[in-house]
Amino acid sequence: MEADVDVDCREASRLLSAAFERELSGEERIALRRHLDECLMCVNFEAQLDFLREAARRYREG
Amino acid sequence: MSETPVRDPRVAEIESHRPYLVRYALAQLREVEAAEEVVQEALLAALEGLGSFQGQSTLRTWLTSILRFKIADHQRRAVQDRARFADGGDAHDEAWLDELFDETGHWRDPPKSWANPEAAFEQRRFWEVFEQCLGRVPGAGGRVFFKREVLGEETDEICRTERISANNCWVILHRARIALRACLEVHWFGGEARDGS
Repeated sequence: MEADVDVDCREASRLLSAAFERELSGEERIALRRHLDECLMCVNFEAQLDFLREAARRYREG
Repeated sequence: MSETPVRDPRVAEIESHRPYLVRYALAQLREVEAAEEVVQEALLAALEGLGSFQGQSTLRTWLTSILRFKIADHQRRAVQDRARFADGGDAHDEAWLDELFDETGHWRDPPKSWANPEAAFEQRRFWEVFEQCLGRVPGAGGRVFFKREVLGEETDEICRTERISANNCWVILHRARIALRACLEVHWFGGEARDGS
């Protein structure tokens, strides 16, 4: 990881999840974007969160 | 229950909605036994009233509306001790995060790329796995996730009815999402359960 990436996966995943519940601050968004630019694992996690939301929506509709 | 004649194909279809209805009831009532009881009442009422179902709404929507009445009945009857709800300590406890991330903050079990995930929606088996994974989300997580993502309730509303802080609510949801994605990755996207075709 680059030294200027200031959130790790643990924090990035928390922010990705939090973004579903509240608006992230500017600082949080920048740190998160920077992390996602470098981390495929968290990009995968982000896509999975979207998938979960869509799956849940379809589940409701039966 | 086995006495019910199965002439109407909708009888079997009604039964197929039971897991959804149980989770729906569980989201309101918080107790498995109570949830199963009201669902049983609702399904019996549905079978009796099947003749009046005209199919203007989907079967699931119709069943859910019956269930809502049964839940309301139950809530009126029961004097429940809601303070018993255990979100508590464990939302603050970050030990679960240490199981997921190493001391440098990296995933211990990195999320993989899921190929063509939407294709799963078309497969009946996927929904069984989804249901099972939903049922395995520990603690309050399964119920809170169900309210948030399946029922689409706002987080504020959930926090209020669950009587937990917003921050606890976010932690619980985050934890539930991680548990759910991990379960699906192992039991679906890992290839174990996918249909052959």
